[in-house]
Amino acid sequence: MTKTIAMAGKGGVGKTTVAALIVKLLSQKGLVLAVDADPSTNLNQALGLPLDDSQTVGRIREKMTEDVSRGTLSPTIVKQEYLFGKIVESLAESKGFDLIAMGRPEGPGCYCASNRFLRTSLDKLVQDHEYDYIVMDCEAGLEHISRQTTRDIDVLLIMSDPTIRGITAAARMKKLIEELRSNVGKTGLIVNRVKGELSPEIKRAIEESGLEVLALIPEEPDMSDLEMKGKPVTDLPQESPLQSKVKEIVESLSL
Amino acid sequence: MEGEFHADMGPQYEGEVIRKEDLYIEFGGPKVAHKFELATVKSPDEIENEKVEIIGPDLDDLQPYDEEKGGGSYPIAVLVDVAGGELDKDAEAIIERRIHMFTNMIEGWYHMNQRQDVWMRINKDCYKKGFTSLRELGEIYILLYTSEMSIIESIQVTIITDEKKIEELLPHALEVYAARDERARTLNDEDVDTFYGCVLCQSFAPTHISIITPNRIANCGAINWFDGRAAAKIDPDGPIFAIPKGELIDAIKGEYSGANAIEAEKSLGTYDRVYLYSAFEHPHTSCGCFEAIVYYIPEADAFGVVNRDFKGETVVGETFSHMAGETSGGKQIEGRLGTGLEQLRSPKFIQADGGLARIVWMPKDIKERVKDALEAKGLYDKIATEEDVKNVDELLEFLEKVGHPWIKGEVELPT
Ligand SMILES: Nc1ncnc2c1ncn2[C@@H]1O[C@H](COP(=O)(O)OP(=O)(O)OP(=O)(O)O)[C@@H](O)[C@H]1O
Ligand code: SF4
Ligand SMILES: [Mg+2]
Repeated sequence: MTKTIAMAGKGGVGKTTVAALIVKLLSQKGLVLAVDADPSTNLNQALGLPLDDSQTVGRIREKMTEDVSRGTLSPTIVKQEYLFGKIVESLAESKGFDLIAMGRPEGPGCYCASNRFLRTSLDKLVQDHEYDYIVMDCEAGLEHISRQTTRDIDVLLIMSDPTIRGITAAARMKKLIEELRSNVGKTGLIVNRVKGELSPEIKRAIEESGLEVLALIPEEPDMSDLEMKGKPVTDLPQESPLQSKVKEIVESLSL
Repeated sequence: MEGEFHADMGPQYEGEVIRKEDLYIEFGGPKVAHKFELATVKSPDEIENEKVEIIGPDLDDLQPYDEEKGGGSYPIAVLVDVAGGELDKDAEAIIERRIHMFTNMIEGWYHMNQRQDVWMRINKDCYKKGFTSLRELGEIYILLYTSEMSIIESIQVTIITDEKKIEELLPHALEVYAARDERARTLNDEDVDTFYGCVLCQSFAPTHISIITPNRIANCGAINWFDGRAAAKIDPDGPIFAIPKGELIDAIKGEYSGANAIEAEKSLGTYDRVYLYSAFEHPHTSCGCFEAIVYYIPEADAFGVVNRDFKGETVVGETFSHMAGETSGGKQIEGRLGTGLEQLRSPKFIQADGGLARIVWMPKDIKERVKDALEAKGLYDKIATEEDVKNVDELLEFLEKVGHPWIKGEVELPT
């Protein structure tokens, strides 16, 4: 059974950073599909993989639609199969995990048929590759969670910084996702970049949100140095505060 | 089968994926420029039966993929030549497509895509077990083709890895594919007994059914007759299904008894007739997914086309989204047709109303996309865009000036 872990939370709270570390950790236990569901596609950087912008699922779909109207896509090539092939080609393969970038979601209007093709393709991808884990890095807006995957979410990790605004946003997201998806296994809160203790106000806000705190991640001192050198977060030493905390989270979830 | 070859075979291996970590060598795929596969029906004397020829370096001559250094991706061409009394040109595409299935049936082999996009992988295990020559692949193809397709009387397989040679042969393959596509594009509603229906959009347009025929792509532009056929075959009871065409009632307007019957059933009796080739009287229903809208302009007694991506005002002063609001919901609306953009290329596109020659306005972007089709009918310079005219008065002037065939009365409606 494939286990799906999704990251959510307001902008800039560390979703991509933690997602990348989770991908790396889980890839030592099984095969992982890392899904970059944020149109600004930066999970690949956090994982240290190159990515070609024309290789997002959104771009592949757009190009297919355009080729059809130009009369340049063969009429006999079944679009469902074509889309699947291009999606497989777009996978960035790495040790123990593959990365797929969703790219921009469709513009206004309705895409029943192509969304269906996409969903079928993604389901087939997961089935054929027999991924043990899917880790989804979502954008703050939750566009993809609501539309592009039908998969059940086993673990929803909502992230926040140690601010009242972050916690309020996290609480709102929990509600929203539970409305959109009846099948969410476990939901938990991760408070990131904590310096010292949480303030009593934040503790109260968390209590009121009804969110279970899975972990507090401390501010990582080596992070800005790493970013200045353009290195992926996965290069952090195992015993660094961030790495070891994420390791704890993964262990506590017994994935 | 076992014993003869260095790999096991069977349908159980079809879903097997080869990831980079298990990769020995790959042929074709996104990293390789020159690659293709081609089946050709030949006369028996052109074929040396059961011959396998390898042109270029073989598996054990090639550097495998290396985790550190990368590499391991090579060009390939697979040529399958067949002969048989019952075989004709139309069989080529079907025979060629089998390469996909047959390769995937081999343990340790993986095949994706088709034609000039092919991509094959062999895993480390398979090579280690002794699958060190492409000759073996050719022999397996021959075995599978002859045992599964009795229509094939003789067969030879050529596998080329010599890049120069592949590059030299690729243009010919592309020509063959283009000719096949051309044949598919000239497939007409008259030539088939089955249409396809799609009700995916019924969740918000409860009376809508898309009727998909060789001459009519779906409103959303995502499903043509071939897609419909494939989907209905995989899941006949799904949202995309076969429709028996029934009797032809009106060849010009495109009325078929089978289409009428399904329209009545799926619209829950709201409509019982549908014209596939007209925007008047009983036009096709419009759901909301359409790529474009064909809309009647009374002052010109002609049509404009506007697509979803066009954000400005059309020549009648309305935007796409405004019109879409009025056109959607699964209704039949006279003078309004939600359509796939590729439909503009169909010879039966509103044929009862004068076809493409009755179009007087479309966004510049669309005009460029369908340029070849417009030029073929001498219409490219006759149709106004947002750059030429801003309103209907200017449109009428423009049409006068360029001598649009519909305005000049040169277009005869079919009778
Ligand atoms: N524990 C931490 N210590 C120090 N810096 C951190 C920590 N976690 C994240 N950061 C930094 O915070 C910034 C934002 O992190 P990240 O990109 O992971 O957030 P995000 O939630 O994915 O953002 P977005 O909503 O823009 O996608 C990055 O510069 C990252 O290096
Ligand atoms: S518009 Fe497309 S998805 Fe919708 S019903 Fe028609 S064919 Fe199906
Ligand atoms: Mg992010």
